[in-house]
Amino acid sequence: MFTPDLDRRIKQGILSVAGTVLTAALVTYFGMHNRVTDVGYRPQQPVPFSHKLHVGELGIKCVYCHAGVERSPHSPVPTVSTCMGCHIVVKAESPRLALVREAYETGRPLEWRRVHKLPDYVHFNHARHIRAGIDCASCHGPVERMGVVSQVAPLSMGWCLDCHRNPEKHIIPAREISGIFTGLPAQAGEGTTVRIAESRPVTNPPYGLWQTSVPQQLIPGVPTPKAPGRGPETCSACHY
Amino acid sequence: MAARFPNLRWWHIPAGLLGTAFVIFWILVLSGQKTWFSEQPPLQIIPDMDDQFRVDPQEASRFFSDRRSFRTPPEGTVPRSGRAYPFGPGDLALAEKAFPQPPFPESPYVLAFGQNRYDAFCSPCHGPDGKGNGPVVQRGFVPPPDLTRPEARAYSDARIFHVISAGQNVMPSYATKLTEAERWAIVFYVRQLQRQSALQQQAASLSTVPARQ
Repeated sequence: MFTPDLDRRIKQGILSVAGTVLTAALVTYFGMHNRVTDVGYRPQQPVPFSHKLHVGELGIKCVYCHAGVERSPHSPVPTVSTCMGCHIVVKAESPRLALVREAYETGRPLEWRRVHKLPDYVHFNHARHIRAGIDCASCHGPVERMGVVSQVAPLSMGWCLDCHRNPEKHIIPAREISGIFTGLPAQAGEGTTVRIAESRPVTNPPYGLWQTSVPQQLIPGVPTPKAPGRGPETCSACHY
Repeated sequence: MAARFPNLRWWHIPAGLLGTAFVIFWILVLSGQKTWFSEQPPLQIIPDMDDQFRVDPQEASRFFSDRRSFRTPPEGTVPRSGRAYPFGPGDLALAEKAFPQPPFPESPYVLAFGQNRYDAFCSPCHGPDGKGNGPVVQRGFVPPPDLTRPEARAYSDARIFHVISAGQNVMPSYATKLTEAERWAIVFYVRQLQRQSALQQQAASLSTVPARQ
């Protein structure tokens, strides 16, 4: 029944299928490795600072140290004077804080390792997202449970657009621990769900202006929180 | 067993287990449940213009020998926006003259904002009700005085604003973390805490009066 020719073809077929499966498996495995997708990058910091202790147990809010994130595109890494605000008294002699004290006394900056890094041709504005009541954990994960911070989201363009298109599926609304101001306390029954304003029809215009209503400032000099809406999909919204 | 599955061989069982583990592993990988951690920076296969020769905020400088990107501005530099708080902890009289009263009136919105700022920036030490029993104090910080005590109630708005802005004793200055509007909103909220505490004390003293026969 098996002619030599058919036998050869079957053997070749089995080999090629196995080879394809193996190649696909290797590509997927290493393609998903954190060295490629950035997820799971967890550098050791020069000072063993624990978000789990400071945020999770003490309940110090994100904005206490990262003050200015509500006004600035960049979320600031706190100055050592912020650390020394408490550690001038608390654990003042701890050897783990030696580098902080040294930086505080000499004025030479402490070089923390940056975990989340976008390419230089992309602009992400923290203030803009915080103002829409998007919690830090939407992108940074449950930092209050991390001893050493690791990256939990790929921060790729597809990942950004997933959320810009369907925010209600991905966004974690502002939580108490972040310290984000979301306006007057919501009415009963409201506030646990993200309300998505249909600010822009998806098809008209397809790649056009991003229109949004800017609420009136209720306190002079303080930006008013706005209702979360769909993110823009225009190229120039992020690449400018 | 052997009677019911006549084709079963001994090596079918480990092979089946291995196969199941293989399938579960790939389900976990593809659904994103399995994560690798690494201390090495992510690999840049195509670096393109990911890292341009420019200074990002708080990035180490590749130009200056001390690696500081934030350069100290020359003497006499005037900021384009905002202003630094010009007074030290001792300049109360000057500060009361320069910042005599809040630039906006009280409203429910201002109080909600003040509460948010207070909870984030003050309550770690002063506690959510201003009594000075925040979580940082319980970890060994110097207990701050009660914000709702009668002397503090008698302080002027400008004095509370000045203490927030310039600091006092071990309390650091918050002028670099909070804008002027934010500090005034906190002043409004501290006033509300004081009113609430006064009402509570009144109610407590009333309830201790023995009921009339």
